[in-house]
Amino acid sequence: MEKGNNEYAIVLEDVHKVFNVYLDKANTMKEKILFLFSRNRKEKREVLKGINLNIKKGESVALIGVNGGGKSTLLKLMTKIIYPNTGKITIDGKLTSLLELGAGFHQDFSGRENIYFNASIFGLTKKEIDERIDSIIEFSELGDYIDNPVRTYSSGMFMRLAFSVAINVNADILLIDEILSVGDQHFQEKCYKKMQELSEEGKTMVFVTHSLETVSKLCDRAIWLHDGLIKMDGKPKEIIAQYIEETK
Amino acid sequence: MKNPFKDIYRYRELLKTSVKKEIRGRYKNSCLGVIWSFLNPLLQIAVYAIVFPLILRNTQENYVIFLCCGLIPWTFFATGINRSAFNIIENGNIVKKVFFPREILPISVITSEAINFIISTIIILAFVICGGLGISKYILFYPIILLVQYLLVLGISFVISSVTVYLRDVQHFIGVLLQLLFYAAPVVYAPETIPENFKWILKFNPMTYIINGYRDIFYNQVKPDLVGLGIIFGVSLIVCCVGYFIFNKLQKGFAEQL
Repeated sequence: MEKGNNEYAIVLEDVHKVFNVYLDKANTMKEKILFLFSRNRKEKREVLKGINLNIKKGESVALIGVNGGGKSTLLKLMTKIIYPNTGKITIDGKLTSLLELGAGFHQDFSGRENIYFNASIFGLTKKEIDERIDSIIEFSELGDYIDNPVRTYSSGMFMRLAFSVAINVNADILLIDEILSVGDQHFQEKCYKKMQELSEEGKTMVFVTHSLETVSKLCDRAIWLHDGLIKMDGKPKEIIAQYIEETK
Repeated sequence: MKNPFKDIYRYRELLKTSVKKEIRGRYKNSCLGVIWSFLNPLLQIAVYAIVFPLILRNTQENYVIFLCCGLIPWTFFATGINRSAFNIIENGNIVKKVFFPREILPISVITSEAINFIISTIIILAFVICGGLGISKYILFYPIILLVQYLLVLGISFVISSVTVYLRDVQHFIGVLLQLLFYAAPVVYAPETIPENFKWILKFNPMTYIINGYRDIFYNQVKPDLVGLGIIFGVSLIVCCVGYFIFNKLQKGFAEQL
């Protein structure tokens, strides 16, 4: 398969990821020297054991599976927060990850200033943020609170603001990790609607979620990760049925 | 290999906002605010100006001006490096969660320190003018010396900030090292007053040439040693490239180490 072609947004080729789990992490020089002689403290844990995966442009894919299956690790690899030990990941298009909302928000700055800061982490320029700021504020429903320092916000307001920034970044590929539990019922529904809109606009989306309802509502493909391998890959309905059957 | 300038250009808004955050955030909850940018170096100069004439038998003429030409550039060097040791760890929560070119972090710290330094230069100017020395045309060399220093500090900062993530001890070590370097550079004394057999230390310290450069344009009011500065410019450029290379190699593991 060629890389860089236009059909696929994300291509993973035989991706392996091993984490070193330090049972006792050596931090000081003395401990580091001592650790050279005792080998049992370090444990290698292979989280992903060779993942091959192609995600087409415009697809909405859900990653499901029990905890520890490697779902979040896979997302982190796609964002390039961490790198694979072996294998190759090719991304085509601008990618934004919503791994954790509000990362990098500064408590003392106002909501508006934080929009600028947060959006710039996603790689937007001043001009692009200026164009979006109104729709971001409108989507967050914060109204006049937007000029108050973020530390005065309730946790719901905080999440709403963070989500509004992330969703308005205008990326081609969106990676979303377990965050659809934002705000109240009304705001959640708004988020779902926005996701559907983005999907219809042809954005590629990858979700990690335990909410099977989300999967069937938003996705047109589901991938079941189990023990670092892809166990099943296909239509959400079939996968969910099988998944429920097996994890009962 | 990826093109570092393209990445940085694309994320220029992030660079700008984090520089702003660094500068504004520092004095956020203090009553005097930005005034500390002036007060801090002034107090520091006061301390040295009182202590060192007592210790050193014969100090330079206009010792306060002499001192502030050395101390203010030194502060840029020292705080820049000191802060880069904590830089990545402090920003751990975003490094672990969001992708962006990591080199933005050290670059924004050093840039904010450089801006702080430029502001503090007003103090040097004030002293030079009030002390009766006046301003010479050689002040035109100021941006060149600043560029050399910026590259040097940035290069070292790339190394320090990335290595500290793996080896936290560097944080503690760096303070002592900076103190040692402080006395190994002609900050509080003139290079000529050093005994002959110790002069090689100054010769190998790039900060010597930089401080001498500032001193030449502000205090001695002569043309700075351009050959020396040219060599240091080359050294700084190499330090910067090697530093970036090391940083780039190590940054892949940041999220896992933090």
